Amino acid sequence: MKRYIAYSAILGLVWCFVHGTVNVNNFILGVLIAPFIIRPFKTLFPFDQDFSFANAIKKIPAQIKFLYVLIVEIIKANIMVAKIVLQPKIDIKPGIIAVPIDSKTDLGITAIANTITLTPGTLTIDVSDDRSILYVHAIDATDPEGVAQSIKDDLEKYTMEAFE
Amino acid sequence: MVLELLSNAVLIIGLFFVFLAMLGLARLPDVYNRLHTTTKIGTLGAFSVMLSILLKVGFSPMGVKAITVALFILITSPVAAHMISRAAHRHGVGLCKESVIDEYGKACESACSINERE
Repeated sequence: MKRYIAYSAILGLVWCFVHGTVNVNNFILGVLIAPFIIRPFKTLFPFDQDFSFANAIKKIPAQIKFLYVLIVEIIKANIMVAKIVLQPKIDIKPGIIAVPIDSKTDLGITAIANTITLTPGTLTIDVSDDRSILYVHAIDATDPEGVAQSIKDDLEKYTMEAFE
Repeated sequence: MVLELLSNAVLIIGLFFVFLAMLGLARLPDVYNRLHTTTKIGTLGAFSVMLSILLKVGFSPMGVKAITVALFILITSPVAAHMISRAAHRHGVGLCKESVIDEYGKACESACSINERE
């Protein structure tokens, strides 16, 4: 039930943004419609686990920090790919690397996979069946261990804090 | 006035990055490398264009919708890239000849040797 309230509030805010005017009327309308959206997608969310507002609020600073790291990484990624594209002769050594991950929950794995895709030189392709390995396509795959290590140190630390 | 100038500057940066994404789409060798450019550069390009709309019209309904669209692109484009690359690999689209390693292919072969393509 608590999850319904939290997700309804988020969807209400999303409805305000989609509508274009943020005010109380729109927010209440969004909150009233939200349960009809949440119900069909219930199996995608961990409704059987305990949920507390205190924990959710406690994670917000970590999520803001993660957002900051993400923006910096996106800009770095763009400059790096732009350099590759603008080279007169394209000289790359791509490849698919297996990267072991520590995240256990669905949300944590989704967050780390999307973050990997948006950060320099790497693109998530698939997750293994036992959810312990991500297959990552890297533009520069000459040093597989280095890529795996940099993902673990630079990104997973922040997603683990923010979403697990 | 300052906002107007800033908006135009961000628009030009965004269009430049979208141009680079399309250039990369044409120049890079295989589907996986092309997805790199369309997700990363395309995201920042579209984001900058939307940001420029927000700077131009302020927090009016149109500006708020623009920033919502930008956030949706930021969330959904990695998922799209992930699905396209996965589908391509499962259909047997190989990596380009410059590739040095394919650990996913090895894992797939050992797991589903029945469905393996000859």
